[in-house]
Amino acid sequence: MAATAHPDRNFKYWLISPAIFLLLLIGLFPLIFSLVVSFMRVTMLETDTSFAGLVNFVQLFHDARLWQSFVHTALVIVIALPIELLLGLAIAYLFLDRMPGRQILVSLLMLPTIISPIVAGATWRLLFDNRYGPINQMIGWFAGHPVPALWTVNPQLVYPAIIFCEIWQWTPFMFLILLAALSNVDRSLTEAAEIDGARFWRSFRYIVPPAIWPVMSIAILIRGLDLFRIFDIIWALTAGGPGTMTETVSVYAYVQGFRQFESSYTAAIAFLVIALLTVIVTWAIRRMGLAK
Amino acid sequence: MVNRRDFGKISLAAGLAATLGRPAWAASAADTVVKAAQQYKGRSITIVWEAGLQSLDPTHFSGPKWKELTGMDVKVIEVATAEMFTKIMQDYKSGAGAYDALNVIPAWMPDLAQAGALEVLDPYVEKYGYTPELQTIASTFRDNQMKVGGKIYGFPDDGDVFLMYYRRDIFEDPTIQKAFKDKTGKDLAVPKTWADFDVVGAGLTDILKDKGIYGAAFFRQPPYAMYMFEERFRNEGGKFFDADTMKATINSDVGVKVFTGMRKENRFMPPGVEQFGFVENLATFLQGQSAMTISWPPYGRWAEGYGTDQEALNWVPKTAIAGKVGYALPPGGHPELAAGFALSISSTSKNKDAAYLFIQWLNSTDVSRQRVQLPYTLRDPFRDSHYTDPGYLALWPNAKDYLAALKQASETGLLDLSLLQTDKYEEVMRQAISKLWAGDDPKTILNAAATQWDDITQKIGVEKQKVVYAGWAAKSGAYPKM
Amino acid sequence: MTTVPFHRRKETKLVFRYLTVASLVVIFVFPIYWLLAISFKTPGEIFAFPPVWYPKSIQFNNYAVLFKDGDAKTVGNSLVLASVSTFFAMIFGTIAAYSLVRFRTGGENLAVWIISQRMMPPVAIVFPVFLFYVWLGWVDTYIGLIILYTAFSLPYVIWMMRGYIEDIPLELEESALIDGCSRWEVLWKVVFPMARSGLFATAVFTFVFSWNDFLFALVLTRTEVTTYTVQVTHYFGGQSNFWSKIAAMSVLGTIPVFITVATLQRYLVRGISMGAVKG
Repeated sequence: MAATAHPDRNFKYWLISPAIFLLLLIGLFPLIFSLVVSFMRVTMLETDTSFAGLVNFVQLFHDARLWQSFVHTALVIVIALPIELLLGLAIAYLFLDRMPGRQILVSLLMLPTIISPIVAGATWRLLFDNRYGPINQMIGWFAGHPVPALWTVNPQLVYPAIIFCEIWQWTPFMFLILLAALSNVDRSLTEAAEIDGARFWRSFRYIVPPAIWPVMSIAILIRGLDLFRIFDIIWALTAGGPGTMTETVSVYAYVQGFRQFESSYTAAIAFLVIALLTVIVTWAIRRMGLAK
Repeated sequence: MVNRRDFGKISLAAGLAATLGRPAWAASAADTVVKAAQQYKGRSITIVWEAGLQSLDPTHFSGPKWKELTGMDVKVIEVATAEMFTKIMQDYKSGAGAYDALNVIPAWMPDLAQAGALEVLDPYVEKYGYTPELQTIASTFRDNQMKVGGKIYGFPDDGDVFLMYYRRDIFEDPTIQKAFKDKTGKDLAVPKTWADFDVVGAGLTDILKDKGIYGAAFFRQPPYAMYMFEERFRNEGGKFFDADTMKATINSDVGVKVFTGMRKENRFMPPGVEQFGFVENLATFLQGQSAMTISWPPYGRWAEGYGTDQEALNWVPKTAIAGKVGYALPPGGHPELAAGFALSISSTSKNKDAAYLFIQWLNSTDVSRQRVQLPYTLRDPFRDSHYTDPGYLALWPNAKDYLAALKQASETGLLDLSLLQTDKYEEVMRQAISKLWAGDDPKTILNAAATQWDDITQKIGVEKQKVVYAGWAAKSGAYPKM
Repeated sequence: MTTVPFHRRKETKLVFRYLTVASLVVIFVFPIYWLLAISFKTPGEIFAFPPVWYPKSIQFNNYAVLFKDGDAKTVGNSLVLASVSTFFAMIFGTIAAYSLVRFRTGGENLAVWIISQRMMPPVAIVFPVFLFYVWLGWVDTYIGLIILYTAFSLPYVIWMMRGYIEDIPLELEESALIDGCSRWEVLWKVVFPMARSGLFATAVFTFVFSWNDFLFALVLTRTEVTTYTVQVTHYFGGQSNFWSKIAAMSVLGTIPVFITVATLQRYLVRGISMGAVKG
């Protein structure tokens, strides 16, 4: 006896109601508050709650440092995201078939993501230290002489250091998600392809990705959004330096909102970010066919 | 054989005995408030304190003692240094009123006072007769870190100041002295000017490098190096602003000279010194790898092994140089009173009177004397009486030189720059220093920094800032008397 | 029977895989190892020049101190907060995801609105949330943070589970309905089991995101519900760096998650071979 149409309609709303309720409870007030504040002039020293119009938003457009932070953020995303994706996929593939001790190995690989990002940042800072860290020590072994690479100070090394740490910490994220997705892929498909003589790479390229595309595309979206908010690693390694060279949007917003209490301006920045991201995400969703 | 730790305990006991033996007519500030606090028996107050080592004072010593004496419960809210300002501001702005007493870095006082977050303490000082003991706080701290706009907002509670620490054994070694004379034509002596410092540092590195010892090492990370710049810049005659126009003058020739000098010095310091923070620098000095360094007072105690057998200090590398440490003023003779702490009351507190009694007690002559001698303390001597305290002098053989140097520093010390929105100016400085280590041209960096400072001043309001700056510049510790 | 060439033999492939995996694990785990080593090192070894790779002796004093001083309790706090919020987020989020996928509830707009919650820079909303919580009296309480973390995890759970649910063939659900199952039973008996690996992977990271949160925990707690992330930052001072505590605390903080991931692994890979439709 098939379920009637009527219970369906309520059923689907019952399903989403707890989630929507919580999201509204926690999300609505801050959103409205920020919106209101962004039209005022609330700073550390003054709480001028009179309507100030678009003055904060105008300031946004003149703020070179803000736009530079967008560029820095984009740089990190464009380099780190593909690497994390490909590396994660490759490692997931490696782990797909049985092997003894897989459970432990997967858990070990998860460690970078589990560690608090603040501690990870501090640890990497110590690892990169020229005098007390093992990385330069190892480089020195290979080079035969001490190599004083100053990873957190040298403008040419700061981005490689940051991106490396970021990839180190979050590739396991991609790895686990894709492993879960890959393990659902109908093995009979790939096995059939292999019996047919198709080489490993063909099945890897043409059969697998379409099968895991729903999960993979969402993982890319989520990881991209999170990369946009990258903060702890950068703060621990360079605090946005040298100068403001590695200052991303989050770092800039943190300094403005958290340290200098430019509440109104930070709220304006937040809305700019949301607006930009909404546009990008909507485009990405269409392009990736996520909400057919 | 009485070891160092016993010495400390004995002197502490002696000091306590002296307190108890005080004649009844000389009611100390501590006694006054203890008596007044009896009415608050059973009350609970909160105090915001720097997390970690600093908090051991209220959690292990002063909090329990206060409770014993008055029945008042002290809840210590530990906050990481970097977040203290934020949490205090947020608590104030939200009206939550969860904090009663506060630890405040004096440079924040103008901002906090202007925002209305701090309670004015003058009425309380009157009420409980604290003025005499306030006067006996060392002049530099008393005159520079207590008031904003003529009103008292906090009691200076920590004698943070930069001292130079050097290896007496190296400077007094005849072989090294000879080698130095041969190399540079000058006599080896603790440098009194920065020009001397360059010669001494480079020379010592040349002579001792093979042994793994460098002439000097500093903490060069921007937040720390910023203080060192503020110090050196003023010692060399620089001024932060033109007092009439409020234009920034950090990009003067003096500024460029200091920046250039700082970068040049790194060459005779351990490679990678640009990344050194407080602990890296400490480790280098304590393990005997640098002949000179500049830092806060704890270095001086820990280098001699005082307190480092405490569990709380088990993160401090074992000192290899006990008995070999010399104390002096940094080159220029006017050290930075970097950071520091003052005790304040939150204006939204619901227990202002009770909290005030606690901070007067903490800050009083009797109690502060005990607190600065705690082996695990980070509170440094800040009262005239601390520098000559027999208990302190007995803590380790060379303590008298240490206290003498601190006393001198307290007389010639320079105040941290503090204006409205100090953090914005400091941020520019920190970024400028990071650019310096990155290799940019000093003049370009400083010009950009000065422009940014001017922008900030414009935003805040030139006239407004001018008043605050004038108030700051009028203080005895703002600029050195040349 | 033709001999299989060396490079295609099963054993070779296994060895090759193992070597690659081993090198990867070494690279990814090395910093964690370093942290672990620090938790046993003396300060002289932590700041030894040249760096020292392993401590001379293993003594658990640094860990004991954390328990004695009550710092370890913060790990417990984080555990409670993260697990409870993950539990609720997974339930509410997965059923919401199901609704979105199977019924297209709210269409694209709702889906985008949900994911937009993750676009808001935390710095901008942490103070309004704080104000809200002051008004509600939820500052420094378990309930406050649990609700917060649950709410913030929902977008992630909903979006991730959308993908995994889409992977489940519709026929399985339809045949269950025909067999007389109610909609709720379909959810419980078909969807959840089939999405097991996705549930696991999503739950792990939902947990980790809440576990590692710093900004909200910093602002919304004072002394009662201090989380381990905030506690660790107490060890970074202007004039001190308790590296052994930082390291020991981090190790302590990692163990529960590590064990959970290790033991729940079997849900990661579906044991049943594909193609078989559950009767």
